[in-house]
Amino acid sequence: MAANQSDALVVVNNVTKEFRRDSFVIPVLLGINLQLARQDYLALMGPSGSGKSTLLNLIAGLDRPTSGEVIVCGTNLGVSSESKLARWRSQHIGFIFQLYNLIPVLTAYENVELPLTLTRLTRRQRDEHVRAALEVVGLSDRLDHYPRQLSGGQEQRVSIARAIATDPTLIVADEPTGDLDAKSGGEILELMRRLNEEFHKTIIMVTHDPNAASRAKRIVHLEKGVLVNTNATPVGATA
Amino acid sequence: MKSLKYIWRNVMRNKLRSMLTILSIGFSLALMTILCGYIALQDVWGNEAQKYHRIVVMSTMGFSGEVPIAYVDRLRAMEGISAAVPYAWYGGMYKEQQMAFAQFGTDPNHVFNVWSEFKIDPAQLKAFQDDRQACIADRRLAERMQWKIGERIPLQGTFYTFNLDLKLVGLFDAPQNTDSLWFNWYYLDEGLRAKDEPLSGNSGTIFAKTKDANSMAVTCKAIDERFASSDHPTRTQTEAAFAQMFADMLGNLRLYIFVIGMAVVFALTLVAATAMAMSIRERTTEVAVLKAIGFSRWNVLLFVLGESCWITTLGGLMGIALGCAFLQGMHIVASQFVPVSVIDLAGVWLLLLLALAVVIGLVSGLVPAIRAAQFSVVDGLRRVI
Ligand SMILES: Nc1ncnc2c1ncn2[C@@H]1O[C@H](COP(=O)(O)OP(=O)(O)OP(=O)(O)O)[C@@H](O)[C@H]1O
Ligand SMILES: [Mg+2]
Repeated sequence: MAANQSDALVVVNNVTKEFRRDSFVIPVLLGINLQLARQDYLALMGPSGSGKSTLLNLIAGLDRPTSGEVIVCGTNLGVSSESKLARWRSQHIGFIFQLYNLIPVLTAYENVELPLTLTRLTRRQRDEHVRAALEVVGLSDRLDHYPRQLSGGQEQRVSIARAIATDPTLIVADEPTGDLDAKSGGEILELMRRLNEEFHKTIIMVTHDPNAASRAKRIVHLEKGVLVNTNATPVGATA
Repeated sequence: MKSLKYIWRNVMRNKLRSMLTILSIGFSLALMTILCGYIALQDVWGNEAQKYHRIVVMSTMGFSGEVPIAYVDRLRAMEGISAAVPYAWYGGMYKEQQMAFAQFGTDPNHVFNVWSEFKIDPAQLKAFQDDRQACIADRRLAERMQWKIGERIPLQGTFYTFNLDLKLVGLFDAPQNTDSLWFNWYYLDEGLRAKDEPLSGNSGTIFAKTKDANSMAVTCKAIDERFASSDHPTRTQTEAAFAQMFADMLGNLRLYIFVIGMAVVFALTLVAATAMAMSIRERTTEVAVLKAIGFSRWNVLLFVLGESCWITTLGGLMGIALGCAFLQGMHIVASQFVPVSVIDLAGVWLLLLLALAVVIGLVSGLVPAIRAAQFSVVDGLRRVI
């Protein structure tokens, strides 16, 4: 188990999370244990309100657990300061959101460049990264388009390019196909598969769609704050 | 460099709102520019006055007191003095108009020794000296009144009982518009004496030029000591101090205007703050995304402050340009009020006004910036997820 833990990219140990609203407490996660090896591709499923986004946010270092440990890429996120977490996220995490969340006043190129401005890369290196990322998602011909000039599927592809531009270790995606039609959604899922298989990215994807989930290497279900392991696909050797 | 572009795009995001904010800041700063320009104007006057080392003798009783004409000759005989003339404010009506311009009775033979920087054609000066009823005027005043040489200028006394019937024989050029007409003091005095007026023999004030700037203070003191025990003691000061005395009469008014100006600036700072708060609020999710990607609170704070400062600085530049254009326009069409070009008025105060615009930006952006910086990423993202 100990050896396993050191290999794992993501370790979630006995994590609980509750939100306080005024006087009452909302328990959302009730003791989660989860590990993820490098190059794994996990689909996180579960009914609405079960705490999927909450768990994803903890793993991505956007929030801290009420108790338990979240260790990602060797960093214990629960004890890091806010500013350390921000820097850590910029180095290790790529985000893909359901509603793309591109910056409307920036072009596709500039949106992808945005996280790179936090790195020490030179202008030229940034340019290479941006072009490479947009090449991967097949949007090399849309560099100067603003988000409103793109379709939903294209916007999501730009946001994937933004997520991979800094070459992060872990990609987290919260319902990346939730707002897309079947065809665009299929393209996004294909891209995610390539990121995992060709570019060896570790991915956690929250989804409601069993079809989307089936593209992952592993599926876990979250129900009322606890994980119910119903592995649909064979688990990788490291699990 | 990269973030400047992003900040600029945010400024341009809601063009109408930004434009309105820029305009409101612009107008308040235009107002401040005009006020400060007016204050700077008086400083320029003061410095200008210092340059020619002139002094002004008036009665200790103020303008209602008397300075006997005999004092002029006594001053001329004094050590540090190179020239002296009577200088009596006539304050007459011209064609039913009160205070249409300034009129002074002085000594044609010496007045250009006291105002040695003023220029006049020698033939015209001679005409002024030779004819008791002659007068000369500032060229810009003559232009404004559309007078020609030979013009008859009747002036009706308001506190003097003797009316003047003057003839324009010459025009003088001063470095700044004086908006003044000069006539022969002796013409007025003869008229008064003929009527047995008690006001006769009063030079009003005496303007004198000292031999150099350093001796001004000593000379002023010497003059006042000399007449201290006479029936008509004097109060002598430099021309700069004399001008300042007039300015001080308006001083409180100046303060009030300044306070009102600052109140307007403050009100418009609140307007800018409201606009800024609105734009940031609309961008809550976007700010959360920036933070998720790894931008620090500090980055976010600077983005917002940068945006608000950019807006108010644009407003400031616009307002200062507008204010300067107004002052320059006044200088061109009404140089009696603004005798100096904006270029001569310009100084550190313009930079201070620009700094004020930046401060407005910081103040108006501060609350939205802090709120954006402190806003929880998770809450921001939940709005869309
Ligand atoms: N910041 C918060 N403050 C208070 N309650 C919260 C907060 N975040 C989440 N919750 C609550 O936690 C529970 C789980 O929310 P979460 O967003 O993780 O669910 P989810 O599984 O992602 O649902 P969905 O599929 O609808 O996205 C919900 O009941 C929600 O109201
Ligand atoms: Mg969710």
